[in-house]
Amino acid sequence: MYAERRGCIHVSDESANPADTTETATTVDTADAADTTETEADGGETLGGASGASTVASLQARWESARDRELTVIGLTIVGVSLFPYLFARAPVVSDLLQGYQELASLMLVWGIFAIGFDILLGRTGLLSFGHAALWGTGAYAAGWASANITTFPLLLVAIGVTTAVVLSVVLGWLSLRRGGIYFAILTLAFAQMIYYMASAPLSFITGGDNGLTGVEIGSLLGVFDLGTELPSVAGTLLGTWRYAFIGAFLVVSVAAIYRILNSPYGIVFRAIRENEQRAEFVGFNVWRYKLAAFVLSGTFAGLAGALFTIHGEYVPLSSLYWQTSGEVVIMTVLGGVGSLLGPLFGAGIYLWVEYIVSGGYPFDWIAPYWLLVLGSVFVTVVVLFPEGIWGLIGDLRTRVATRLEER
Amino acid sequence: MSLLTETARVLLNGLQTGAIYVLLAMGLSIILGTLKFVNFAHGALYLLGLYAGILISQSTDFSQGQLAEYGLGTLGLDWGFLAALLLVPFIVFVLGIAMERFVARPFYDRPDTDQILFTFGLAIVVQQVVRILFGGNSVNFTQPGWASGAVALPLVGGFPQWRLWVIGITTLLVAIVYALIEFTDFGLVVRAGTQDAEMVQLLGIRITRPYIAVFGIGAALAGVAGVVGGPLSVVNPTVGTDILVPAFITVVIGGLGSVRGAVVGGLLLGITESFLIQWSLVIPSLGIDYGFAPWSQVGIYAIAAIILLVRPQGLFGSEVDVS
Repeated sequence: MYAERRGCIHVSDESANPADTTETATTVDTADAADTTETEADGGETLGGASGASTVASLQARWESARDRELTVIGLTIVGVSLFPYLFARAPVVSDLLQGYQELASLMLVWGIFAIGFDILLGRTGLLSFGHAALWGTGAYAAGWASANITTFPLLLVAIGVTTAVVLSVVLGWLSLRRGGIYFAILTLAFAQMIYYMASAPLSFITGGDNGLTGVEIGSLLGVFDLGTELPSVAGTLLGTWRYAFIGAFLVVSVAAIYRILNSPYGIVFRAIRENEQRAEFVGFNVWRYKLAAFVLSGTFAGLAGALFTIHGEYVPLSSLYWQTSGEVVIMTVLGGVGSLLGPLFGAGIYLWVEYIVSGGYPFDWIAPYWLLVLGSVFVTVVVLFPEGIWGLIGDLRTRVATRLEER
Repeated sequence: MSLLTETARVLLNGLQTGAIYVLLAMGLSIILGTLKFVNFAHGALYLLGLYAGILISQSTDFSQGQLAEYGLGTLGLDWGFLAALLLVPFIVFVLGIAMERFVARPFYDRPDTDQILFTFGLAIVVQQVVRILFGGNSVNFTQPGWASGAVALPLVGGFPQWRLWVIGITTLLVAIVYALIEFTDFGLVVRAGTQDAEMVQLLGIRITRPYIAVFGIGAALAGVAGVVGGPLSVVNPTVGTDILVPAFITVVIGGLGSVRGAVVGGLLLGITESFLIQWSLVIPSLGIDYGFAPWSQVGIYAIAAIILLVRPQGLFGSEVDVS
């Protein structure tokens, strides 16, 4: 299965390579003329002399070695999370261009957690679930119900939401993983729909039925910081509200946790299963149990994101359990790039940006009713042409620029 | 109402609800069984059949769609229901063939996951195009004049006539498909291809053409389901994705690739649903009077769960066949 994906990528690489080789074969000048614009966009340092090129090369080598280290990944995530709301909602030019606002930035992080958790299953283990709405929705409902009935402390609500989702994902995973391949997609879909219909009518005395769960009340963080208020001084300018900081902290923790898991010996078995399930089985791994573990892990993050969704919106719509929601997270993950740690995060951001900003008639008025059509078409294009998603495209671009730099 | 009357009513309602599932599941199942192609866009074919049926049979007010802005707010050929019933299968058959050529074929060699993702995206695109053209609001698909109203049946009493027609049309189509698969040379090639496509090709049989036909037939069945089921339900652009899930459940219950399984599975789901709608638990001494209607949708998934736990390959599925 994975081999075929690989095949595709090779094809696209090869189609790019001949151009490169011909350029090196001809004189350097023509190559320069052909791609000065591209290199300049990347930063003009390369145009310096021989000594400049060597510093660039050494910097690049150092970056390459540091790039995939845990500290770099987490550090960059922290920097990104801290700068993002400022750039998105308040920075002079960028925010005007993006039309962003604070609450959307928090919502993007919530869905981002959902999507990077989902990718443990889809991108790493190679299992496509169409039932993650059940886990996200259950996490959201559990947190919402607890806030009205047990406690209003955000941290406890998150714990309750996650626990409920974990329990449910063990059951759902155990049921759905009885058969592989397409059965898994259909079974997760079926059981999630069952939960949706249970919430919609028979259990409406808990869930509020079609009206969704109202009466959610979120207390202040640690009893001190009201989530709606702004952070003090510089942090306020950068991050905005306590709510964003709260969600952002969970995102950083999630990225760190997923990085750790996927790079541990345990997580590498997930990849082995994706690449060749039979071989993993023959080597002696209990494939079924690893699959269940991957499902539960992704369910944990779905529950976490669901609980944060409740804390963010202080309301749980019934549609959070519907299979459209499962579809949304699938689209986000694939759009961003399956199998990459941070790709799904971008996918979530792009999806929500289109859903909230483009649907409001930006950048063109006429585009408003077409927003989902646009997303659907882009999604189809990505599936057919760029199986590695937008993150993969960026990666391709990066390696191409890097090879150009080396050629100099 | 006597117990007998009630049972007969549940069965008839169940047959009718199940009939739609059967029509959809049969197409899905033969496509899955022969071509090994997972079609999440099957619901989109249902949707297209439905809207094609509306456009042919009547004249409808689509004032909320983009077409209205070009002066096409009221649209339709108004040729009557029978014309729709006869024409739509051909239209959707052609769509199905086009889909096989341009959608399915490039994906035969790609993993299941990619097929699902691609057809899922396609389903969204189709749904959005329909919504943009005709508006997202619900429209009314009128029942044919010659089949509206109720007929008096023995035992059951008055029963909507169109529902009986739905059962009848479905029975006829099931018989035709079954005969086609079981008793013709075409069916022989298809069945052999299901078991071992490579071997069939080695024997010198061109397998691609029967496969295209299978896809077309499956699509046409979904189109018919749209036309016969439309007058009985709400019609809006989301019905395609909504009905896909029970259709898939039916396939999984019945077993991949089995026509018999699709029929039995569909009827089982339909009867479960109508039974739960009808049934209420009444124990006067305890003061219990609980209607199970809210559980009707939950019930079909519960049935699916139970069957899959007991018999994972589905009722008529073979153990070996599933990869």
